Amino acid sequence: MHPFTYQRATTPAQAVAAVAPAPGAAFVAGGTSQLDLMKEDVLRPSLLVDVTALPLTTISALNGGLRLGAGVSNTAAALHPEVAARYPAVSEALLAGASTQIRNMASLGGNPLQRTRCPYFRDPAQACNKREPGSGCAALQGINKVHALFGASNSCVATHPSDLAVALAALDAQVQVTGPNGPRTIAFPDLHRLPGDTPQQDTTLAHGELITSIDLPAFTGRSHYLKVRERASYAFALVSCAVALEMEGQKIRRARVALGGVAHKPWRVPAAEALLAGKKPSEKLFRAAAEAAFADAKPLEHNAYKIPMGRNLMERALLETSGLQPLQGPAGTAFAASVGGVSGE
Amino acid sequence: MATCYPPCAVPGSAAGRARVARSPHIPGCFAYAGLNLTCSMSDEPRLPLGEPAPDCLLPNGRYLHELRGQPVLLAFAPEEWNPAHAHQSTIFTQLLGAFDAGSSAPEAVVSCWHSLSCHGPVAAQFGVAGQRALLLLDEQGRLRWQTTIRPGHELRTGQVLAALEALRPDAPAPCAAAGEAAAGAALAPAGGGLSRRTFVTATLATAALLLLVGAAEAAGPVSPTETQPPMPAPEAATVPVTLTINGEAHRLEVEPRVVLLDALRENLHLTGTKKGCDHGQCGACTVHLDGHSALSCLTLAVMSEGRKITTIEGLAQGETLHPMQAAFVKHDAFQCGYCTPGQIMAATALVQDKQRRSAAEIREAMSGNLCRCAAYPNIIAAIQEIQTA
Ligand SMILES: Cc1cc2nc3c(=O)[nH]c(=O)nc-3n(C[C@H](O)[C@H](O)[C@H](O)COP(=O)(O)OP(=O)(O)OC[C@H]3O[C@@H](n4cnc5c(N)ncnc54)[C@H](O)[C@@H]3O)c2cc1C
Ligand code: SF4
Ligand code: FES
Ligand code: FES
Repeated sequence: MHPFTYQRATTPAQAVAAVAPAPGAAFVAGGTSQLDLMKEDVLRPSLLVDVTALPLTTISALNGGLRLGAGVSNTAAALHPEVAARYPAVSEALLAGASTQIRNMASLGGNPLQRTRCPYFRDPAQACNKREPGSGCAALQGINKVHALFGASNSCVATHPSDLAVALAALDAQVQVTGPNGPRTIAFPDLHRLPGDTPQQDTTLAHGELITSIDLPAFTGRSHYLKVRERASYAFALVSCAVALEMEGQKIRRARVALGGVAHKPWRVPAAEALLAGKKPSEKLFRAAAEAAFADAKPLEHNAYKIPMGRNLMERALLETSGLQPLQGPAGTAFAASVGGVSGE
Repeated sequence: MATCYPPCAVPGSAAGRARVARSPHIPGCFAYAGLNLTCSMSDEPRLPLGEPAPDCLLPNGRYLHELRGQPVLLAFAPEEWNPAHAHQSTIFTQLLGAFDAGSSAPEAVVSCWHSLSCHGPVAAQFGVAGQRALLLLDEQGRLRWQTTIRPGHELRTGQVLAALEALRPDAPAPCAAAGEAAAGAALAPAGGGLSRRTFVTATLATAALLLLVGAAEAAGPVSPTETQPPMPAPEAATVPVTLTINGEAHRLEVEPRVVLLDALRENLHLTGTKKGCDHGQCGACTVHLDGHSALSCLTLAVMSEGRKITTIEGLAQGETLHPMQAAFVKHDAFQCGYCTPGQIMAATALVQDKQRRSAAEIREAMSGNLCRCAAYPNIIAAIQEIQTA
């Protein structure tokens, strides 16, 4: 790890003032992504500004929804009774991610901003435009098993690893940020960007912009998160799917679906969502929606398996959310979220 | 051209010393098998490639020349843990891991790196002056590959494996020329039918010895031949930190980049907390922060100030084991015991909420603690006993 100086901020304004003017500065919250990558020599900030002492650790009611402070831990958010009851997709996504220890450390502000798990990004000996702009992309010709199906470019084919982000995208959460130019609100689906020619930029945040809260809008429908991974627990998603379903009588009033593990950002599927609106839930309908969602997938050499896997997963997530198929475990737990079960039984 | 590599000098012989003293410095930059790794000249050990290594007395009381007939890997690291070398242990852990993975010759691995030194006479004999370095000698005791691991950098074990691979009998002859050409030859990408893994396994099973040197200093080394000015580690600013560990306040001075795990183990000598992966993936370093389980390898010591830290050392009451520790003993919930402190810290944090969990729920909650010995069923049994007690 390269040497750096350390500061602990006690107010958001202080944190922003410390980071914004210093190009080499970064925030650190739980540190589970930031410090890991610093140990790998992938990140070399000259200044780390600790945001864990900021007064951003509460969950409160807001316009019929919930305001989740950016400093709330993944564990605290997932187990919060209001979150688990009203936004089970959020609890499921959080609890199906990482491990108990990491969830205790990780923060809601840091989680969506964690960097990709593309192995070439994490290895400074490899070419990677995200880590070192202009150096090339080793994944294009390399092992691209965990890489993107949608929205990738010739500069970068990485996927975003956060589970939480997928659930937040489906729920149209809002991100409150404050920065050198004051506060603003970002619709969650606009927080992350596609790689284009500048894959070094994961999000639309400016340097020094601090997330202060994530706001969940009022929502009375059902939501659910489903994740496939290589082992029963403690692994990143190969493919995941978050569904937010609002019904009107027997029919779907509005469906929102976001896919994880398939793009540089949580991948909303508007064509499938349009297909679902106004229809009665059925296996056939959900199959058709899943087909539509993956219609323009562009597989690389090693990741075509994600197309049938993702289609099946999305169909199943819709079936389970609508109640046509039972959840695999209690709503709001890792058991509901994990395809194949978590226990190894 | 085997004659260009005279056999290794006898311990402390004038010939050996002179040869080292006269050696030209090795070239500053070279590409390692496919990797474009640049080393600055001043960072490199100064023993030329192809030259016989000077002899020295090893920690186990034998001389280096007695190990002829097998490749020898010499590893140098600072004797004292130094936060400026935050990766020093990781490197050697990884290296041992890499060899272990394919080796059926465990007796060849001498893991005594905690007392290694890259300062002092033996190091100087090899041209190592304060840096972490790895040197590979062939069966005839000639230097075939070397690398310096600069502060803040990590060794890529692949490089070492590639260098070992280049020692195989059908690799290009190293004798063509000394210096740069030899480096190129020794590091040429593998040809032939053997995969890297197979070859390394074969090499290790038959011959290779991973020897970690340095305690040799204490054993009385042959006198130095040429002392080079030591390369001081870059001084980074330390900050005062007060950590409350197991109810006791500890004041220490650490660099901001020191993680809690290293502060516990290296500064405070609380070595019950283990370093497994150093990257948040195994749980061996689990401690409690304010009563919740957390990974000390991904927590900065400076960020732990003001928090209540509990380590495995803080569980027992004097000679009386914590009930969870006793349950682990009773259920034989470990084999080698390396993951055990982390397992117990995760388990004690888990049962605090007094919730009764099914075996499946325990497994899920404990999935962040890997056990290489797969003691899982017994770990679950120990936790179940405590939560029903
Ligand atoms: C072994 C392992 C397994 C994991 N598995 C999963 C998994 O399955 N699913 C999953 O989703 N995640 C997983 N993770 C990732 C983990 O969940 C994230 O690293 C974590 O949520 C990041 O939160 P943090 O608070 O630790 O962020 P940090 O590491 O502190 O910061 C991450 C980034 O966010 C920035 N940042 C932090 N807070 C703010 C803020 N308030 N405003 C602006 N910027 C900010 C930092 O500068 C940094 O760039 C895993 C991690 C590890 C190590
Ligand atoms: S996919 Fe993106 S992150 Fe991975 S190597 Fe290519 S540029 Fe880097
Ligand atoms: S040492 Fe492996 S998780 Fe910390
Ligand atoms: S007891 Fe050996 S790793 Fe768990």
